[in-house]
Amino acid sequence: MMNLSRSVALISLFLLPLLSFSFSVDNPTDRRVLVLLDDLSLKSSHSIFFNTLKSRGFDLDFKLADDSKLALQRYGQYLYDGLIIFAPSTERLGGSLDSKSIADFVDSGRDLILSADTSASDLIRSIATECGVDFDEDSSAMVIDHTSFSVSDVDGDHTLIAADDLVKSDVILGKAKIEAPVLFRGVAHSLNPTNNLVFKVLSASPSAYSANPSSKLSSPPQLTGSAISLVSVLQARNNARVVISGSLQLFSDRLIRSGVQKAGSHNQYEKSGNEQFVTELSKWVFHERGHLKAGSLVHHRVGETDEPAIYRIKDDLEFSVEIYEWSGKSWEPYVANDVQVQFYMMSPYVLKTLSADKKGLFHTSFKVPDVYGVFQFKVEYEMLGYTTLSLSKQIPVRPYRHNEYERFIPTAYPYYGACFTTMAGFFVFSFVYLYHK
Amino acid sequence: MVKSTTKDARDLFHTLRSAYVATPTNLKIIDLYVCFAVFTALIQVAYMALVGSFPFNSFLSGVLSCIGTAVLAVCLRIQVNKENKEFKNLAPERAFADFVLCNLVLHLVIINFLG
Repeated sequence: MMNLSRSVALISLFLLPLLSFSFSVDNPTDRRVLVLLDDLSLKSSHSIFFNTLKSRGFDLDFKLADDSKLALQRYGQYLYDGLIIFAPSTERLGGSLDSKSIADFVDSGRDLILSADTSASDLIRSIATECGVDFDEDSSAMVIDHTSFSVSDVDGDHTLIAADDLVKSDVILGKAKIEAPVLFRGVAHSLNPTNNLVFKVLSASPSAYSANPSSKLSSPPQLTGSAISLVSVLQARNNARVVISGSLQLFSDRLIRSGVQKAGSHNQYEKSGNEQFVTELSKWVFHERGHLKAGSLVHHRVGETDEPAIYRIKDDLEFSVEIYEWSGKSWEPYVANDVQVQFYMMSPYVLKTLSADKKGLFHTSFKVPDVYGVFQFKVEYEMLGYTTLSLSKQIPVRPYRHNEYERFIPTAYPYYGACFTTMAGFFVFSFVYLYHK
Repeated sequence: MVKSTTKDARDLFHTLRSAYVATPTNLKIIDLYVCFAVFTALIQVAYMALVGSFPFNSFLSGVLSCIGTAVLAVCLRIQVNKENKEFKNLAPERAFADFVLCNLVLHLVIINFLG
């Protein structure tokens, strides 16, 4: 009995590391998230946000940002699927973490939520710059907006902004419209114009600018208007998702519970849009929504079921692909009317929009063009907020064999007729010539 | 001046016509065959001018069959014409046999090239 229980304990000890889940191809939602804080009181001051994450099944691991035992990897395997850095004033991260290891973390396909606040350290700025986001160089500057501030702003310096310029995307922000403005108080950032993977989720109004609220402006501010982004998002080419926010207070309980009334507007909301905003955004970042998976590309001639090794020019073929969307718990068929397939050789010879059936099967049929060579079926699907699908399959196309051409060319029928008429004329002539009287 | 040229043309036409009526019947039959062959060739050239020369080999084959058989018929006429001193000793049957054999070879080649 003792031996049995001891052996079971030993076996479970070995199996335990394997049993702790991580995101996988079949289950893309993140499981274990490391939360780095620069002050443990953030656990209670941002408890609503962390509790919504825990209630959705995330395994949060709270640590101080300068904890010397911090590690993202052990023995070459990542310990966490997601990283939340709520440590805007930390200069150096503890343990083996630094800006390069966080960049590698994102490069491995894992997700990140990064938040700066009224004081953003150089480390946070450098992590953000890696993601294509540039915080305002002036470290004492905050976003000020004299027309879009929240009326409940106590300090009167108009730094508490009621922002409602959200990105129009059901995938990122959920189907339900966020009615109340989102309260924001923090630093401004702008997006690197050469980076085409990063985009704004919450943008400042045209009257906003970034400056030090406690001193007079000596020169026009550098960052103004809608170029200022309050919350931005990056979806990398490996489908890792990064959220960068200029305000840590956006996630705080105080702003979540607070009511909001935008200056100049009569609508007063009892609760700001912050809770809905951060909940929906966290769902998107941690791959609970907007994650697509495609089955293999299937193609065959019309009337056949097997995939041929080679097509002939002007063949009729049928093409189909299955695409599924992760709903947070299961794979649901994806329904859209803008997935396209290209029949590509240096440039697309055929570009067709696939028609979807309700079971996630996208199909179409077309005629192989009158060009021979090595083609590819290419499906490149990049929609805002969805993972990118980049599928391709190579297939050669041959010209006609010598016995596949038409036997008689219709335009040459008069010539055929003339030859036979001449032969008949010769025959008749010879008879008439010989037997005339 | 004008009146005299039209009168000359009419006189010329009448002289030619009366001379032609005097030719033997077999030569007239050969002439008719040549006209038919050339007419067929002209129709084909007009068709090619309309639709373009796409199956060029077929066009050449059709035109060549007509022109070839017309040329062979002209050769037959030269050899059979009794007024021709050069071929006085050639039997007309021999000339006709040559004509038939050459036409057979011509049409064999034509059907081959027709595609």
